[in-house]
Amino acid sequence: MSGRVPCSSQRRRTLPPVYEATRIYYIVDIHNTGHGRAHMSPPRTTALSVLSVRQRRLTAVPYLTVLLFLAVIAALVWFTRSYDEEEQRATLISDVLWMEQNLQFKLERNAAQLAQIGQEILAADRHQPQASAALRQLVRAENGLVRVMWLDAAGRLQGAVPPMGEGEMIGETLGGQSASSFRLAQALERRVYGQVYAAAGDRQQFEVHVPIYAEDGFAGAMVGVYSLHDLVTNELPWWFAERYRVSVLDSDGRELVAKSKIAPLSDRQSYSMAFDPPGGGLTLQVTAYQGETRWVQVLLIGSILLLGGILIWSVLQLRRELQRRHRAEQALRSESLFRRAMEDSMLTGLRARDLDGRITYVNPAFCRIVGYSVEELVGRTPPMPYWDPDFLQQTQEIHDRILAGDAPPEGFELRLRRKNGERFDALIFEAPLIDAAGRHTGWMGSMLDITAQKRAEELTRQQEERLQATSRLITMGEMASTLAHELNQPLAAIASYNTGCLNRLEQPDIDRSELKDIFDRIGRQARRAGDIIRRVHDFVRRSEPKREPLDINLMIREAIGLIEADSAKRGMRIETDLEEALPTVAADPVMIEQVIVNLVRNGMDAMRDNPPARRTVRVGTRHEGDTLVVRVADNGTGIDAETGRRLFEPFFTTKAEGMGMGLNICRSIAELHHGRLGFETNPDGGTIFTLSLPVEPS
Amino acid sequence: MTQPCAHIIDDDEAIRDALQWLFKTRDVACATWPSAESFLEALQPGWRGCVVLDIRMEGMSGLECFDVLRQRGNQLPVIFITGHGDVPMAVAALKKGAFDFIEKPFNDSDLVDIVMRALEIDANNQRAEATRETVEARLALLTAREQEVMELILAGKFNKVIADELCISMRTVEAHRSKVFEKMEVRSAVELAQLVNLVRSRGAH
Repeated sequence: MSGRVPCSSQRRRTLPPVYEATRIYYIVDIHNTGHGRAHMSPPRTTALSVLSVRQRRLTAVPYLTVLLFLAVIAALVWFTRSYDEEEQRATLISDVLWMEQNLQFKLERNAAQLAQIGQEILAADRHQPQASAALRQLVRAENGLVRVMWLDAAGRLQGAVPPMGEGEMIGETLGGQSASSFRLAQALERRVYGQVYAAAGDRQQFEVHVPIYAEDGFAGAMVGVYSLHDLVTNELPWWFAERYRVSVLDSDGRELVAKSKIAPLSDRQSYSMAFDPPGGGLTLQVTAYQGETRWVQVLLIGSILLLGGILIWSVLQLRRELQRRHRAEQALRSESLFRRAMEDSMLTGLRARDLDGRITYVNPAFCRIVGYSVEELVGRTPPMPYWDPDFLQQTQEIHDRILAGDAPPEGFELRLRRKNGERFDALIFEAPLIDAAGRHTGWMGSMLDITAQKRAEELTRQQEERLQATSRLITMGEMASTLAHELNQPLAAIASYNTGCLNRLEQPDIDRSELKDIFDRIGRQARRAGDIIRRVHDFVRRSEPKREPLDINLMIREAIGLIEADSAKRGMRIETDLEEALPTVAADPVMIEQVIVNLVRNGMDAMRDNPPARRTVRVGTRHEGDTLVVRVADNGTGIDAETGRRLFEPFFTTKAEGMGMGLNICRSIAELHHGRLGFETNPDGGTIFTLSLPVEPS
Repeated sequence: MTQPCAHIIDDDEAIRDALQWLFKTRDVACATWPSAESFLEALQPGWRGCVVLDIRMEGMSGLECFDVLRQRGNQLPVIFITGHGDVPMAVAALKKGAFDFIEKPFNDSDLVDIVMRALEIDANNQRAEATRETVEARLALLTAREQEVMELILAGKFNKVIADELCISMRTVEAHRSKVFEKMEVRSAVELAQLVNLVRSRGAH
């Protein structure tokens, strides 16, 4: 479990910065998509790129840390292992040294005992019973000795324990090699170990010759025959044999003796050392058995590797997830930038409001239209600063309707006011705002400034009217011109005839019949002119009024209904003051309506430049004697004396687009009805036109 | 219709009749045409006199008729009668070479006066034309040498100078000179110059 702790701590240490960076980024992004967007400045791009470099660096940190961590763990494992091995080796060496000491000590002790016993046997020259017991004690497997022989000074075998068997050759014990050892011991006056030789039964043996001296000098030698195998195997304590394989090699590297058990050997834990005093190039080799598999360690290393693998995998997963998220963010950012570019480039104003009607977002076009900045608008609640104070109540009603979800889907027009006080007409569409969770969070409204459009429409309408007026004028001019030409022809002819006649009368001889003929023709042309005049008259007579009993008040209401739309558009009011229960008049309804419309329209034209408070046309009716009087009063510019004199003349007008026929026709209509059209100065300023019509005799 | 007369073109029958009567009382010969088309159809190159043209007519207008006349090379003086409002048109016509225009309603005596003046001018034109034709016929009689001598005489040179320039003798020059005078039916160099100028100035027109 030791591997996991650093792992989790690593994670805690390295990953949060990435998350934090991401979070910071998110905050930035949320800020972007928020309300403050309209005044974002270009340096943001560089900040973002710096952020991304930092972010990239931060992303690299966990990978580096994980790699370092794994390297450290590997090093730790390796270090522990090597330390362990070192330890084992040290133990091995000390064990080997101990064993070697042990062997040396045993050989030393045996030699010492041999010398002592030898002294008793050879020097005293008597066979002491306790010496035999000591010998028997000595020749035991534990001591490695298989036999002790004693030789006299000449090297002859005096005795042996155990005694030599029949089959055993003396030569074998005292062969060339043994003899040389004996002589060497005699010469050196000290014990000498012989070479290892193979004895019967495939046993490796060596001898030790201990010279024994009596008072008279060299008395012989005690020869201890060691079995290499016994020496090595019996001498080893159990724990040593358990742990190591011990073998003795000769100088050629052949294994002479081995104490081993069936177990695999470690290939590295081995130690060799020279095996002296037996000498002769023997080598003692100790090899450790391969230690028992340490499952805990294996498990630990295994779990470390596994956890390391999982860690790398999870980091990779995390990285992939991060990349995916990054890509998603990029896409989102591009999308958001794209949308923002769209919103910014649009001419349509956009404004979002929450359910309480508080403004949460406006786009630049909206700010441009209303003239207020983002800061002045976002967070505002109704009444909004751009509402027209004159239409405050109406605007509030529409606003409430929208919040109630009752906005007309085809949009609605509203009169609003810019910051500079300028009024404008807006076409507004509202749509509900639904957030990602599907909740209804507010309203998104788009606004079009249709002032210019409306103005253009109005202009077009006026132009059209002017055009119509002009075309009427042209038609009339053409009619007059045609009439003039038509009349000119007979008149010119008459004049020519006449001049001719005068010429004739100045001549002496006058042909009466010729003149009579010419006068006939003059008469014919005069009749022709008369016919033309009659045709015109017939044409005019066609518009003779048809008379029917008429409720004048009803006529006035209908006429006002006709011009009400126009008057509202021009900011004019029409008030009526009609006397009830009026008698009827015999009149042509269309003509009377035309007169009233004309008079009201004239009144409105006269008040064109008035302030809104003084833009009222008052229409009243009164029954005065045997006439009905209709009064149309305005507070306009009034009529001066010169204008008043020419007011009813045809083609006289004070208006740019006027034809100068309106009042003329009105008066003609009044006269056709045996009434009168007049005007007087309004005591409140302006003019009052009066139309008097005779009451129909009941 | 070789007699010079005023051609009245108007689509109004009463006007035609009245004007005819008027001209008759002033002893001005006249002919009337109900339309420009009928007049143009009947028109012969030799016709003399003048044309009284109403600007506003059914079918071909007076101005169009005037253009056709000039295209055909007819130089008859044209007097336009204009109604009210046609004055700019009449002025344009005047610039193109119309003789005059008179606005309706007009003073009839004025119209007759203008027509008489036009007739007189046309008569003068005719005379000048006749003279020119005669002179051209006489010039055609001259030999090449005689023409050379004549040009030098017209240049105001004396016989001696002419003889030097043409490398001929004085006597020969005198012979040519008398021949030229004889053929051109003149008695002096001045008369000769007048005659030839008449032709040349017309030709330069």
